[in-house]
Amino acid sequence: MSEPKLRRELGLLHAVMLGVGASIGAGAFVMLGQAAAMAGPAIIVVVLLGGVINLFTIFSFCELGAAMPEAGGEHLYIKVAYGGLPAFITGWFEWMSEMFYAVLMAVGSATMISYYIPVNIPITAIGIVLIFTLINVRGAKGSGTTAVVLGLTLLVILAIYVVSGLQHGFGADAFQPFMPKGVFGMLGATAYIFVIYLGSEDIVVAQGEIKEPGKTIPRALLLNAGLLIAIYGIIACVTVGMVPTEILGELSSPLAFVAEKTMGWVGAVLLTIAGLVAAMSSLNTAIMAQSRVVYSMSKDGYFPKVLSAVHRRFGTPHISVIVTSIFTLVFTAIGAIEFAAYAASFGFIIGYSLTNFALMKLRRTKPHLKRPFKAPLCPFTPIVGIVASLGLLPFMDPRVLALGAGLGVLALLAYYLSMVGHYRIRVAFGGMSLGIGVFAALLAYLIETGLLPLVTPPVLFYVLIFVSAVSILAGVLNVTTPTRNIF
Amino acid sequence: MRVKRALVAIVGVAQGAIGVLAVIFAYMLYHNFFNVQGLVSMSEENVPIYMLLLFVFGFISIISGLFLIHERLEL
Repeated sequence: MSEPKLRRELGLLHAVMLGVGASIGAGAFVMLGQAAAMAGPAIIVVVLLGGVINLFTIFSFCELGAAMPEAGGEHLYIKVAYGGLPAFITGWFEWMSEMFYAVLMAVGSATMISYYIPVNIPITAIGIVLIFTLINVRGAKGSGTTAVVLGLTLLVILAIYVVSGLQHGFGADAFQPFMPKGVFGMLGATAYIFVIYLGSEDIVVAQGEIKEPGKTIPRALLLNAGLLIAIYGIIACVTVGMVPTEILGELSSPLAFVAEKTMGWVGAVLLTIAGLVAAMSSLNTAIMAQSRVVYSMSKDGYFPKVLSAVHRRFGTPHISVIVTSIFTLVFTAIGAIEFAAYAASFGFIIGYSLTNFALMKLRRTKPHLKRPFKAPLCPFTPIVGIVASLGLLPFMDPRVLALGAGLGVLALLAYYLSMVGHYRIRVAFGGMSLGIGVFAALLAYLIETGLLPLVTPPVLFYVLIFVSAVSILAGVLNVTTPTRNIF
Repeated sequence: MRVKRALVAIVGVAQGAIGVLAVIFAYMLYHNFFNVQGLVSMSEENVPIYMLLLFVFGFISIISGLFLIHERLEL
């Protein structure tokens, strides 16, 4: 019997809504207000500028996605262009960014629910992750349909917001002065707001399940990019027209504030629902995307083979969906929101830059690769994409760079472990167990003799002795393992 | 051989369980479930370092335990 493969079940609408769902997270609703405070009414230009900059990298995704329409997205492109370590690091950052984005959206959804219903935020967030994991295990079409339903709901609510704002009318001097902070204020706001466009790449991560990929992938990416520019532009215009920008920056939910002004309490509730739908939609896409990255890396031999198993009935990489969701659940339980936000942004930016590099390299090294779509004005467009992506880094919080470096070191460690083989890793863990066992015995001795002045319950001594004995035994058994059982 | 199989299984399961309990305890410390920080007389500023130690210890124990359980399944 042949090995089951991913099924191409997603059409153009599914693909576009995956991108919309991934990009319009709940964060966008808050960030628009803060960016407006940075740029003034010129936020409208800022949003359009960010969209155009995003478009340069989208062209690269269009070309590479249509030419190599297998699951994995950026990881796949870098593998073909550079191979080995760069491919692993790209896949690693892709996975990390999707995973932390999922955490961010799960906790965000639970927090929004808690505004109206008294729920425990970590437990609710865990429940939401479990529901979307189940949807993603049961089929790409199911998660695609979920993305369409959530995406359309979101668009309808945003349309109501815009129409009610336009009916209400703008203040006479709403857009004056247009650029109170000058050009630098605008550029800073562009860097700040650019993350609201990240997420389109989720379309290419799931490209292994998109029908007629040569045509559908570029169309979906371009439609998604255009739609985002239009949505953000109109929303920025209505929001700035209703409330002075300096007030917007101080609001925790600027869009809900404006909606309340135009529609009363119904508006505030509607916008909270929109935020919730946006967060859930992003979560759904992130869970799907992270599993496809891990599936692709497993197929390439970087992760255990079991992660590339495909369910016979559902046609989904069910093991990788479950395993990646377990990691998501662990971080969701901790609720480290700030950490998740930084990690997600850094990973997306690295992926964007490397994709543009891959496009230029492949144009040179694989000129005969079949390209149903070609990025216009190459190498101008990918170079602008790289400069724009990397140019964002200096505007970010220094902790983003520190965290990025930390994740990079972790990636190198994971790459090394995946390359050195099972036997050596086992011996290494055996050694660590031995060390822990000896340390626990020493600790127990010091506490019992009173050499370590710690006030501890008496049971701790016996716990330490037990842990020490088990760890030493486990260490000896692992270190002395016969190699013939391994190879 | 039979003795070794049994020993590998028992030690593997015990070490894995110790690791899982350490991770659960780290979570309990973080969220201060059942006032566990007060029970072990731990100040709030020391929680991150104890969490880190418990996580490192927990994950090493879980992985090492899984290696042994895997060997037991192959023997």
